[in-house]
Amino acid sequence: MFKLLNGPQTLGNGRAFWICFFLVLIIALAYPFFADSYDVGNFAYFLIWVFMALGLCLMWGYGGMLSFGQTFFFGIAGYSYGVLAINLGGGGMTFVALGLAILLAALSALILGYFMIWGRVGGVFFGIVTLSATLVLAFFVGQTAGPEWRVGEARLNGYNGMKGMEPLNIPWFGGESIYFEGSSLYYLAIALILLVYLGLRVLLNSRFGNVIVAIREDPQRAELLGYDVRKYQLITFVIGSALAGLSGALYTSWGQFITPSSIGLPAAAMPIVWVAFSGRGDITATLIGTFLILVAFQTITVHSQQAALILMGAMLLATVMLAPQGFVIGVARSIGRLVKRRGQAPG
Amino acid sequence: MMGVINMAHGEFIMCGAYVTVGLVHGGLPLPLAQLCGVIAAGLVGVLVEMTIVRRFYKRPLDSLLATWGLSLVVTQGMLILVGSSLAGIGTPEGSFKVGEYSFSTYRLVLFGGAIAALAVIYFIFMRTRFGVHARATMQNPQMAQALGVKVGRVYAISFGIGAALAGFCGALYAPTMTLIPTMGATFIVESFVTVVVGGANVLLGTAPAGALLAIIRTSLNAWEGQIIGQIGMLIAVILIIRILPEGVSGFLTRRQR
Amino acid sequence: MKFRRSLLAFASALSVTALIGAAPASAASIKIGLLEDISGDLALLGKPKLNGSQLAVEEINKAGGIMGRQIELIHLDPQGDNARYQEFARRLVNKDKVDVLIGGITSASREAIRPIMNRTDTLYIYTNQYEGGVCDAGMISNGAVPEQQFSTMIPFMVEKFGKKVYVIAADYNFGQISAEWNRKIVKDLGGTVVGEEFIPLGVSQFAQTIQNIQKAKPDWILTINVGAAQDSFFEQAAAAKLNLPMGSSIKVMLGFEHKRFAPPALNKMHAVANWFEEIDTPEAEAFKKRWHAKFPNEMYINDMGYNAYTAVYQYKMLVEAAKSTKLADIRKVIATGKACVEAPEGQVCIDPKSQHTSHRMRLIAVDEKHAVKVLKDYGVIQPYWLSEIGCDLTKKNDKKQYTPTDLPKK
Repeated sequence: MFKLLNGPQTLGNGRAFWICFFLVLIIALAYPFFADSYDVGNFAYFLIWVFMALGLCLMWGYGGMLSFGQTFFFGIAGYSYGVLAINLGGGGMTFVALGLAILLAALSALILGYFMIWGRVGGVFFGIVTLSATLVLAFFVGQTAGPEWRVGEARLNGYNGMKGMEPLNIPWFGGESIYFEGSSLYYLAIALILLVYLGLRVLLNSRFGNVIVAIREDPQRAELLGYDVRKYQLITFVIGSALAGLSGALYTSWGQFITPSSIGLPAAAMPIVWVAFSGRGDITATLIGTFLILVAFQTITVHSQQAALILMGAMLLATVMLAPQGFVIGVARSIGRLVKRRGQAPG
Repeated sequence: MMGVINMAHGEFIMCGAYVTVGLVHGGLPLPLAQLCGVIAAGLVGVLVEMTIVRRFYKRPLDSLLATWGLSLVVTQGMLILVGSSLAGIGTPEGSFKVGEYSFSTYRLVLFGGAIAALAVIYFIFMRTRFGVHARATMQNPQMAQALGVKVGRVYAISFGIGAALAGFCGALYAPTMTLIPTMGATFIVESFVTVVVGGANVLLGTAPAGALLAIIRTSLNAWEGQIIGQIGMLIAVILIIRILPEGVSGFLTRRQR
Repeated sequence: MKFRRSLLAFASALSVTALIGAAPASAASIKIGLLEDISGDLALLGKPKLNGSQLAVEEINKAGGIMGRQIELIHLDPQGDNARYQEFARRLVNKDKVDVLIGGITSASREAIRPIMNRTDTLYIYTNQYEGGVCDAGMISNGAVPEQQFSTMIPFMVEKFGKKVYVIAADYNFGQISAEWNRKIVKDLGGTVVGEEFIPLGVSQFAQTIQNIQKAKPDWILTINVGAAQDSFFEQAAAAKLNLPMGSSIKVMLGFEHKRFAPPALNKMHAVANWFEEIDTPEAEAFKKRWHAKFPNEMYINDMGYNAYTAVYQYKMLVEAAKSTKLADIRKVIATGKACVEAPEGQVCIDPKSQHTSHRMRLIAVDEKHAVKVLKDYGVIQPYWLSEIGCDLTKKNDKKQYTPTDLPKK
């Protein structure tokens, strides 16, 4: 099983990579001990979005399916978490709500995916159908302001957003609950990222990963080789979308709040921007790149007032013009070249 | 048509509208200002093609990212330079009655404008030398180049025409709409969806698809209100793609054969 | 020309930011966190709000600050994104450790901020007129609410123009709740709502709506359409010669449509609010002069900008009376019922039970040349609805938003 952590489908397989990996992990684990508590919470918040990007990277970069629907599943899980957390009550039940919310997102991905993949919707149309579904959901939730739109105790509350759910927490000895915010949320997010990241590496370097890449390259050939293309695509779609669901549920827990504008445009385009910026060809790149771009965008917005959007736009433009494979992959390749050249240089 | 997903299309609409309104405030008569708006949008389009879009013909998804970045820069730049809103110029006078309803005459102008634009496009692409070059280039750029067509120029001009059309749309709508820098974004979903439903051919696809979607939406609007109209339109899109995977134009061309 | 001026304005805005940044941030300064959109769709409305806060802070600092402490204004731009509102509210409270948070524009942004503020003991001031109903001890609302706007304007419209009203409202919470208010008041007056249309945000084409209105033949229209796209209704209706009287709780004073559109698009518009730039009392004139001296490019001083200005003065009064910036101490001052300031509109006070603000309401009408006239002065009107339905923040903190169809359980 652990052999599959390395393989042809992922960048960074050498000893040097894994040394770096553990260094970063140690720094990340130690970070809360010497950082401001606000910054730790803020980092945890960035990590929440990374799952969605990883899911998209799997579908788009490896599976060749550009889904515009990450925020669709984000919204389904986010709202489900809210509804369930309010109705099941707080405490340990919030984790049940988290699990069920992701399950619901996966289930809706299964239905939508079945409809599309068995209907042979492909290429750009895949993006459009998912986008349409996303916009429909955003419009629908947007008009649920009235009191008739309630599930049990929970009011959807339309455009103003659903509120009043407890954040993730577990009851602890002595009656005090541990709420997952700040550094505890940070560690939870790190643990989940680790799990998802390593899990995806194993998956991608296994037979399954090879098959979906083969399907991306040439679906007909893959089919002739005896693989049921649709089944593989559907599984990829469900996994990718469930990861978006994980992001959604965590986001709702983080802010105890979710609105339809987290679903509709322009939110729906954001995961695509992150993944394209990072380099869709590799999950390590997506992981690093998404985190970097989130930090960069927030920093820009805090410090440059009205010029922020201009800087962000220029940054995107520069990236696609100068580093077509994506920023992180571009940087990684040039470092790789540099290292190689130095190695070849005599003496 | 050219393998580029243009997220900055709305900004050409804005460009047309802003130039029009700016010139009217400067004292130019409306039709002349509109013409200038169209030309300005077209020129900006050519410029954008030559500097940015040119690099992305083989990479449609990257073009999405690049043009989105561009759109952010332009929208926010306009906000800072021109301010958050431009004073309107008012819809030209005149209205007529049909039964108990009264309509603005300007709506007829809008309608006429759309038809005229289609006619002009048809003429350019079907009846001129440039049109032949353009269609050849879209089908097989290498071959066209080998036959002496200046492919780069054809692309630039085609993109310019697309931009000019967007500018035309902005110029026509300018007197009836609020002008804010983000106005382009209100069009983006519809134009995006229309193009997809339409398929590859502008005349056979986009125009009927646009009409079809508009009919679905307007009738649902009238029947159940705007929200159902919007949702209905999007569901129709999903269904149409399911039934006609090549878009309306694919369907129509197949019928022709 | 216009371009040059705007460039200058941009440069001066930059230098102002630089100045604020450079001001000695001594430990003794009082920090005000401000969240206002100055980019994105709502920049048009957010910019005057930022300006209002800046003007008030500058004036107070010149006059010696609050209890001798200078104010430091920390403004962040959430770009109209609710998630950014959440991030930045946390940042201001946890990292910058502001003493008070002011801002938020849409109701969604306010609801995004509230759960975060509820977990701290920092005061939050919301400065917009809105659909009303928030019963939260951590929040002061200083904008007008429906009982102050609708229960004054609708009877006037019904009496003057007739009992048949057609409603076009934005299809989200604000529009729907406002429509609920209208239904109730019109019914009590013996009138009928002959049509009600809810329009999704971002819709800019109204041909069908205009036809529906012509078919329903109302005496007047209640226009609570929201956002730049939906404002296109006015030009399209004017072009179709609809020419009906209109009433609204948000037009003219918020989006200054009468300045932005060419006449006669806003002809026969009526609105009730606590502030219009056209109010000409000596206090209002002096305020307008100070504003325009500082921001010569601003097209209109809108209600939100004015509220943002007043909010800083309200905060000053509260801190000075409480001799503390702690929420609990400030709430003791509010509980006395004497938390009043002399604002440009007249005296405004904070109601202890709902923590909303009383206002002097005026009704204005727009004519075909877009000149605005004050038709009626209603005097001071209390925000009475919340305490009537059972919200009493001096006894219990509900932390909830109520609507006419979603009342607190008795």
